Amino acid sequence: MTKIGLKAGARKKRRLYFLLTSIAVLGLAALLVLSALEDSIRLFYDPTEIVEKNIGPGQNFRLGGLVEEESFESREVAGILINHFVVTDGNESVAVTYEGLLPDLFREGQGVVAEGSMNEDGVFVASEVLAKHDETYMPKEVVDSLKKRGEWQRKAAETHPQDKAL
Amino acid sequence: MHKFANPARFMRLSKIFLPWFMGLTILLFASGLYYAFFLAPEDYQMGNTYRIIYIHVPAAYMAQFGYGIIAVASAVGFIWKHPLADQAARATAPLGAGFTALALLTGSLWGKPMWGTYWIWDARLTSMLILFFIYLGYMAVWETIEDQVKAAKIAAIVALVGIINVVIIKFSVDWWNTLHQPATLMRLDGPTIGGDMLTALLLMIGAFNMFFITTLIWRIQSLILRRRVRALRMQLGGGQG
Amino acid sequence: MLKLALSIIVRDLRLSMRHGSATTMVMGFFVMVVIMFPFAIGPEQKILARISVGVIWVAALLSCLLSLDRMFQTDYEDGSLDQFILSPVPLELVVMAKCIAHWLTTSLPLIIITPILGIMMNLPESGFLPLILTMLLGTPALSFIGGIGASVTVTLRRGGILLSLLILPLYIPVLIFGSLAVKAVIGGYPAMEHLMLLSGFSLFSAAIAPWAAAAAIRAGLE
Repeated sequence: MTKIGLKAGARKKRRLYFLLTSIAVLGLAALLVLSALEDSIRLFYDPTEIVEKNIGPGQNFRLGGLVEEESFESREVAGILINHFVVTDGNESVAVTYEGLLPDLFREGQGVVAEGSMNEDGVFVASEVLAKHDETYMPKEVVDSLKKRGEWQRKAAETHPQDKAL
Repeated sequence: MHKFANPARFMRLSKIFLPWFMGLTILLFASGLYYAFFLAPEDYQMGNTYRIIYIHVPAAYMAQFGYGIIAVASAVGFIWKHPLADQAARATAPLGAGFTALALLTGSLWGKPMWGTYWIWDARLTSMLILFFIYLGYMAVWETIEDQVKAAKIAAIVALVGIINVVIIKFSVDWWNTLHQPATLMRLDGPTIGGDMLTALLLMIGAFNMFFITTLIWRIQSLILRRRVRALRMQLGGGQG
Repeated sequence: MLKLALSIIVRDLRLSMRHGSATTMVMGFFVMVVIMFPFAIGPEQKILARISVGVIWVAALLSCLLSLDRMFQTDYEDGSLDQFILSPVPLELVVMAKCIAHWLTTSLPLIIITPILGIMMNLPESGFLPLILTMLLGTPALSFIGGIGASVTVTLRRGGILLSLLILPLYIPVLIFGSLAVKAVIGGYPAMEHLMLLSGFSLFSAAIAPWAAAAAIRAGLE
């Protein structure tokens, strides 16, 4: 707009400067994203964190962990299926209730992610229960989280042969 | 690439190859389906429902493969101005969109027994849905801009800007730690699926791939022919056609 | 070079000051979209508090989208855009300046009235500052990506719908990280990763958009 008299060379030079600026900005963006990914975003909290943080009733969050062996119990009350089970990370555990049908892959000893909130009695009332399915039938994030606490034994994974897993 | 850049040569070559490609597609589908439904064993945990992966996984791959083709063809068409590359990108879009829709549909059918719900807003499902909309937007650019040369250029820009989304799809599982399992085949420590299951899956992926390529060649042929018809009409009717 | 960009920004700002109606209308639209939700969902304070962040973000996104088609349209109609192409200023720089001007005239006013909407939507107190912060970090991406869309559709007579179809999917990351960050702060969780990803995305679009949009303008005006 201004200085129309300038040669085309000036535009080329400016364009080059601008390109270098753009590349620098791109690098900065990559740096930000990469450092953000270093501590990955957690989509759920394990029982130990919940006990430590002492999350109050009514606060909606996702709970992740393993369904404790021999903790599952299901009753039908007035046509509605009410499920009780305990989610554990080997360190702490949280009792869960859920109304409705559980997914096929829900098993004791398997990983599970439940959404809901704590009630007044310290029981987690789930509004949704999702079975976590991954390549070794052990939720990777749950395993990581357990490994970090040093509570995880290889047992759970070994009972599920890798070659059959999808 | 340069060798096939000439539409006339492409027509000649594709006429020779197309029957072979079709045959190979049918062969792969037949053997793949046989493996998938008769030879591959039941999964110890999911029973027979897991067999939907023989459609779901190849379709999801093709959805991303299609966008890859669009991106490469767009770059080639934009930089070297090859009309054939533009046509290839254009011809790929509806195919890719179709496979994306198929992957979404089978994924949601699989999700019911797997996760207990038809749809969850998990990163991979969601970015697949976004991919579907990006395909739609890309196709809309071609439909909306009448001048074909201009449309090709602008569509190429749109496609290249959108490619970041495909990158996000591939890595979203690791980025967002979601409920969707990490990729089974694309792992550094080798596939975690074995035996006849793997054979069946690979055969089905091959079949989908050949089907994609065959249909793509077919579509490019028809787009080239349509352009020729339009050019002939312009000559005959003095630009009225 | 900065001076040149600045002069374009100042020009666009002056233009929008003289015809101030556009900014006011976008702000009005923003408020209207947000206050539609209590009518649709019900006035229950708890539910409103839960959806407030998401609703305000979506409304900001839609308002931004609404104002995009004017970004290059007037310059295209009066021929300034052709002059920009011919001028010694690289077109990429012009696009950059126009995106910044768009942000100043559209997103900034929206951010300024956001606290009022926050009060009306019963946004938890701890959410106000994070919401403003995420909007400051995230809305530049809306203007830059929007610039690509606006440049693609500038020569089209009815480009509005195509513009939304092209642009909305690319806005999703902003929406995700923006609202996640605010919700994390309200819930007492760390939000740093979300904020970093959000700013990373804004910077990324700032780097890419001028080049893509300039190429699209050149292709369109040929």
